[in-house]
Amino acid sequence: MSPSAPGFATIVNMSEVALPPLSRRGWLRSAAVASAGLLAGCIAGEPGPQQGRLEKIWGVRGTSPGRLNKPRAVTIDKDDLLYIVDVTPQIQVFTGEGEFVRGWQTPDFQYGKPSGLSFDNDGNLLVADTHYYRILTYTREGKLLADRTLGGTWGPGPGQFHFVTDCVQDPAGNYYVSEYGEYDRIQKFTPDHSFLFQWGSHGQELGQFLRPQKMAIDRAGLLWVADACNHRVQVFDARGSQPKLVKSWGQHGREAGQLNYPYDIVLDDAGFAGEADGHVYLCEFGNHRVQKFTLDGRFVGLWGVNGRREGQLDQPWGITRDSRGRMFVLDSYNHRVQRFRL
Amino acid sequence: MFGLRIAFDHPWFLLLLLLVPVLWIFSFRSLSGLGPFRRIFALLFRTFVYTLLVFALAGVQLQKISDKVTVLYLLDQSESIPKLTREAMIQYVMKEVATHRHVGDLQSAAEDKAGVIVFGREATIEHPPFADEIRSVGQLESLFQLRTDATNIASALKLAQATFPEDTAKRIVIITDGNENLGDARTIAATMAEAGIGIDVVPIKLPSQQEIAVEKIALPPDIRRGQPIEARVVIENYTQASQANPTGEVKGRLRVIRRFRNQDELLGDKEHEVVLKPGKNVFNFEHIIDEPAAYTYRADFVPDDPAADVQLLNNSATAFTHVRGKGRVLLIEDWEFQREFEFLIASLGKQNIEVETMPSDRLFTSLAELQSFDCVVLANVPRASGGETDNKEASNFTDEQIAMLVRNTEQFGCGLVMIGGDRSFGAGGWANTELEKAMPVDFQIKNAKVKAVGALVMVMHASEIAQGNYWQKVIGAEALKVLGPSDYCGCLHWDNFTGGDSWLWKDGATGKGLAKVQDRQKIWIGKLDRMQPGDMPQFEPAMRVALNELIPNPASVKHMIMISDGDPSPPSNTILGQYKKNNIKVSTVAVGAHGPAESSLLQSIATATGGKYYRVANPKALPRIFQIEARRVARPLVKEDSKGIPLVVTDPAHEMIQNIGEGVPPVTGFVFTEVKENPLVEVLMRAKDIDPRNGTILAAWRYGAGKTVAFTSDAGRKWANNWTGWEGYDKTFSQMVRWAMRPVNEEGKFTISTDTKDGKVRVVVTALDKNDEFLNFLNMSAAGSGPDLQNIELNFRQEAPGRYVGEFTADQAGSYLLAVNTGQGNNMLLTGVTVPYSAEYREREENKALMTTLAALKPSGGQPGMLIEGEMKEGAIDRIVAAADTFRRTLQKAVSSQDFWPIFLLFAAGVFLADIFIRRVQVHFYWVAPALAGAFNRFLGRPQEEVRDERLERLRNRKAAVSNQLEERRAAARFEPTPDPAGFSEPRDIDAAIADASAGAGGEADRPRPQSQSAPATPQTEQDTYTERLLAAKKKAKRD
Repeated sequence: MSPSAPGFATIVNMSEVALPPLSRRGWLRSAAVASAGLLAGCIAGEPGPQQGRLEKIWGVRGTSPGRLNKPRAVTIDKDDLLYIVDVTPQIQVFTGEGEFVRGWQTPDFQYGKPSGLSFDNDGNLLVADTHYYRILTYTREGKLLADRTLGGTWGPGPGQFHFVTDCVQDPAGNYYVSEYGEYDRIQKFTPDHSFLFQWGSHGQELGQFLRPQKMAIDRAGLLWVADACNHRVQVFDARGSQPKLVKSWGQHGREAGQLNYPYDIVLDDAGFAGEADGHVYLCEFGNHRVQKFTLDGRFVGLWGVNGRREGQLDQPWGITRDSRGRMFVLDSYNHRVQRFRL
Repeated sequence: MFGLRIAFDHPWFLLLLLLVPVLWIFSFRSLSGLGPFRRIFALLFRTFVYTLLVFALAGVQLQKISDKVTVLYLLDQSESIPKLTREAMIQYVMKEVATHRHVGDLQSAAEDKAGVIVFGREATIEHPPFADEIRSVGQLESLFQLRTDATNIASALKLAQATFPEDTAKRIVIITDGNENLGDARTIAATMAEAGIGIDVVPIKLPSQQEIAVEKIALPPDIRRGQPIEARVVIENYTQASQANPTGEVKGRLRVIRRFRNQDELLGDKEHEVVLKPGKNVFNFEHIIDEPAAYTYRADFVPDDPAADVQLLNNSATAFTHVRGKGRVLLIEDWEFQREFEFLIASLGKQNIEVETMPSDRLFTSLAELQSFDCVVLANVPRASGGETDNKEASNFTDEQIAMLVRNTEQFGCGLVMIGGDRSFGAGGWANTELEKAMPVDFQIKNAKVKAVGALVMVMHASEIAQGNYWQKVIGAEALKVLGPSDYCGCLHWDNFTGGDSWLWKDGATGKGLAKVQDRQKIWIGKLDRMQPGDMPQFEPAMRVALNELIPNPASVKHMIMISDGDPSPPSNTILGQYKKNNIKVSTVAVGAHGPAESSLLQSIATATGGKYYRVANPKALPRIFQIEARRVARPLVKEDSKGIPLVVTDPAHEMIQNIGEGVPPVTGFVFTEVKENPLVEVLMRAKDIDPRNGTILAAWRYGAGKTVAFTSDAGRKWANNWTGWEGYDKTFSQMVRWAMRPVNEEGKFTISTDTKDGKVRVVVTALDKNDEFLNFLNMSAAGSGPDLQNIELNFRQEAPGRYVGEFTADQAGSYLLAVNTGQGNNMLLTGVTVPYSAEYREREENKALMTTLAALKPSGGQPGMLIEGEMKEGAIDRIVAAADTFRRTLQKAVSSQDFWPIFLLFAAGVFLADIFIRRVQVHFYWVAPALAGAFNRFLGRPQEEVRDERLERLRNRKAAVSNQLEERRAAARFEPTPDPAGFSEPRDIDAAIADASAGAGGEADRPRPQSQSAPATPQTEQDTYTERLLAAKKKAKRD
C-alpha cells in the first residue's frame, strides 16, 4: 500500500501530526515519526505495524498456568477479561494487562483441541470443541454445564457435526454453529437446542463455504461469517425461516484490502468511540495481519507484518476488542498476545 | 550492585598506579604558571587520564553475576531398576520443580530453569532446560528410542554438561541405583565439579536380595552328527538365607528348547522341576543332533513363587550352533505373493539343493540366523510391502537387515542371488541401498535413452503429531532415496512466511518445483532437514499447484503421497476429478488423525483418485509406507514385451551356464539395470537389441568373501514362461545357486572354542595338519559382527604349538559371529558365541559407593552435593521433595564477562582533550553576571539596555584611523609634495603602512616613525632617488 491509499491517514495517529500551528518541537517529532514509519515501510517492503499503535505484549511459551502454547481462539467478557484457548489445551482467563486470573482444561483432548470461543447471552462461555464435534458451555468461572452441551456425534444429520469451528447466539437466543470438513455448513438451533435449519455446503459458490472459521452477529441481527478458505466474508440474514445471503466480499491475495485465510472477525457496526460508521476487522492467518474494512468491504487500513519482533505477527488465529476499543491479537505461533490501539 | 562487578584480565598492570604521586610531583612544578585553580584541574584530569589508561592496560572487564540456577535431572531408566520406580522418577521431578523452582513473572523468563535427561545405554534429552514447570503426560517420550539394557551415567553427565545454558549456576540431580556398566562417571563428574557444576544424587534402593539368573547354556565346540552331546545350563541363585527361607533354596521349572527350521523341540520332552541351591547350579541335558542345520538353544527358568525372583529379564539364556551338511539355500519371497517360486524350489530340490522359504513379513532378525545357509535368494521381493488399511501392517527390510544380508556375503562368504520380477531391483525400491552396492548391476538407470521415468509429489501436513517435523523429514528422505536420477520429485508444504503452499525446492533452470532428481538427492535431503512445515488450512491449493506441474510433466507414472492428520479443509470434487482424469493417483497417510472423521476425509481422497489409504498408529511404520509408495513411480523400470525378448549368451563357458544347451528361450519381461563399471563384473546373458548397459539378464561378481548374482527376469511365473518347459531350466538355476554358494573346504583340522568372561570373548583355535602335527606360525585373523552389526576385528597370537588365541569385548547381549581366516588356503572357520544378557540384569544391589562419591564432589566455588534419601514410589514422593531443595543457592554464581577496556580507552581520549583545554584556554566567568541580569530583565519584561560592545567599538575606531592614514598616504603619493611635518618623505609600501598603523592602538600617529628611528648612518639627502641608492649599493658591493 502506498501512503496515499485511502484510509491511511485514518489509522495514523492524527492527534500527533495534525496540530496547527506546528511548533518546532512538534515538527521535529512528527518528522521523526514520519521518517521512522517510512523506514519501517521500506525495510518490510509492506505496510508495517506503524499504522496501529502497539501498547502491550505479553505471553511466554509454556504449559504451566499463565503461559501460552499456540493460542487458537480468544473472546472477551463484559468485564474485559480475555478467555484464551491454546493447544495444551487450557482455557485461560487474563486481564487486559496480561495478568493470569484462572484457567481450566476441556474434558477430552486426545483427538484434538478446541478452536472457537464466544459468549452466550447469559454470559456463559461457548467452546467449539472441534475434534469432538460438539459445543461445550462453561460458566465464566470454568464450571462445565454438561446439560447444555450441543452435539457430540459426527455426521451429516441435523444436530450432528464434523469439525465445529464456532458457535454464536443471536439476541433471540438462537444458536448458530459453523463447521467444516466434509459438510462446511451452518446449523441453526433454538435456545433449547432444537434444530431449525441449516445451509451451506462444501464449495466456492456464494452461499457455500470452505472452512467457515468464525461468526459474528451485528446489531441488526445479520450473521457475518469469515469464510476462511474462500478468503471472503459472507453476510446472511438468517432471522426468518430461510437464510438469505445479504452480501459477500473479499478477494484472495496479499495486497492491502485482499484476504488470505481470514480466521477471525470482529464487528464494530455501531461505530466505536466516536467513529461515525461501523467497521469490520479481520485477522488473517495467511497474511499475518489485521485488516480494517467498512461494513461494505472497503479497505480502511491494516496492522501487522510477519515476524517475531514486537508489533510483528506469526500466523494469528484470533482477535477481540475490549470496551475501551483496544484490539487484542492472538499472535499464535509467537505464543503471545499483542494489544494495540487503532 | 545490580549483579555487576569490575574485574581485570591482567591485574599486574594496576601496579602502574603507584606512579601517580610521581606524576603529581613533576606536574605540580611544570603547571605552576596556570594559577591555582587551573593547576588543580589540570592535575586532576591528568591523573584521571593516567588511571584510565592503566585500567585499559589491565584489561578491565564488566562482570554480570546471575543468581539463577538451572537444574538438570538425570533419570536412570535402565532395567536394573524396577519399572514402577522408574515411572515414579518423572513424577518426583515434576513435583520437585513445581515446589522449589524460583519463579519470575510472566513478562520475563528471568527465573530458574529445569530440564530432564533420561539415560540407559545412552542418554537423550526429554525436556531441554527451560524456564517452566516440567509437565509430562504418562510415559517419557524419549523412552521408546532409548536402549535400557545398560547404565551409562557418564554419557548422561556429558550430555548434561553440553546442555546447560551459560548464564546460570548449574546443578545435576542423578536419580540412579549407581550400577554403571558403561563409561566412567567418576572421571566425568570430577571434571564437571571443577567447572562448578554441583551434583546431587537421589539413590534408588534395589528392593530385595532374592534373585535368580540363568548364567548361560553351554554346548560343546565340536558337534558331530549322530553323537550324543550335552547342553549344560548354569543357573545362579543369589538368594540369601532369611527367616522366611532359611535354606535359601528356590523351587521352579526349567525348560530347554531347541529350535531349528522354525520348529521348537523341548529337550527331555518336558519341563523339569528343579530346586536351586544358593550359588551355582548346573543341569545337563544329553541329546543327539541328527540333521545338519542351525540350532538355537534357549533355557528358561520360572520360579514357582514369583516373589522369589525380582528381575525376570535375566531368567533365560540362549546359545547357537550349526552343523554343516550339504548346501542349504534360503529363499526370501514377498509375503503378499507367497508360493510364487514353487516351481523353482522343486527344481532345485531335484538337483539336491535344500531350500527353505521365508516370507518377507517374517524376516531373519540376526546374522546368526543366516549362518546355516550357504546361499540367500531374494526372489522378486520388494524392499517394503503391504500396509493398506484392511490388510496387515506394512513390512520392510530394515536398513539393518539389508546390512546383515550384505555382511553375510561380504564377510562370511554366503552367496546372494537376486531373482527378478516386477517387484525386484529398482522396481522393488532397492535403489540406493547397501544391497545395490553388493550387486553386479546398479538399479538406477543413468542412460537417458531408457525412458523409465516417474514423478512423485509429496504433500506434507503432519506437523501436529508428536515429533511431526522429525517424521516428515525421515519419510521425505526415505521416499527420495527410492527414486532414480531421471525421476522427478517435488515436495509441497505450508510455508508460514508466505502464508501459502510452496515447493520445498525448485529447479534453477525451469523454476519448477517438480524437478528431476539427478544428483540432487543430498541437497534435497538437506532441504527436508531444514523444512518447517506449518498448519495447512486446506488441501485444494496444494493439490492445484501440484496438478499444474504434474500434467505437463513427461514422466510415464505420476503419483502423489499426502501425509496429514486430516483436519485441513478437503479438496473439491472438481480437482479430484482432474487427478483421476490425468491418471494421477493420490495415496493418503493418516497419522495422528484426530478421530474417525478425519480418517474418512483422507480415505475419500485416495478412493476418488485410485490411490491407497494408510492409517498409521505408530509413526515408525511411516518410512515403510513411503518406500512402498515411492516404489510406484519406479514401475517404468520394468520392460515387458509379450512377443518375447530374445536373449544373447555372452559367456557360454562360464561355470554357471555351461552345458545348459543351445537356444536359450526368450523372456517376455525383465527389469532394467545398469552394469557396474568394474572389470570383476561378468555379464553372462543379456537381452538382444537393447542397450547392453541396461539389458542385463544374468550377471555376477565376487563381493568380498562371497559372490552375488543378479538375474533380472523371473523364474517362470510371468516372464520366463518359456523356460519352465526348457530342458536347461534346472541346470541354469542350480548351477547359478551352486556357483554362488559358500565354499566348503575341509583341508587341515581346526578346532575352535570360545569362552565369555567379564564382558570379553576369548577365541581359541587349535590347528593340526593332516598328520595331526601342529601347524605353527600361521597368520590367523578374524572378522565378524556383534548384535548391532558393529564390526569386530581380532588378530590371533600363538600361545603354544598349534594354539592361537584372540579376544574381543562383548558388552552387549546377543549373538557374536566370527569368520576366522586361518591363514592357510581359503579355509574359513565360522563360529558364534551368544552373550545371554547384559550385565545390567545381573545387578542386585545398588552401588552406594559410587553414588556417595558423586554426591560428595565439591564443585569449585560451591558446596558439595547431597544424597537425597527417600523411597521412590508413587505416594512417597512428597517426602523426597521435602528432604532437599535441588534449587538451593549453594553453587558458584554464574558470571558472564564483557571486555570494557575499549570504552576506558575512549574515555581517556576524551579526558585528555579536557586536560589540554584547561591548560591552553583561560576560562573566565565575567559574562555570567550580565547574562543573568539580561535573563532577569527579560523575565520581567523590561526593555533591554543596549549594551555597547566595547570590542566592536574599538575595532570601528581602529578601522577609521587606518582609513584616514591610507587616505593621507595616497594623497601624499599622488602629487603636490607637501612637506611632511614630521620630516617623513620616503615613499612606502601601502601594506607596510597599514601594518604599522595597526601595530599600535590609539594615537600612534603622534608616535615617531620607526623609519625615522632607524635611519641609516650615512646621511641621505631628500634627492636620493631609489635608483641612486641602488647604484650606491652596487658600488659598495663591488668594493667589498
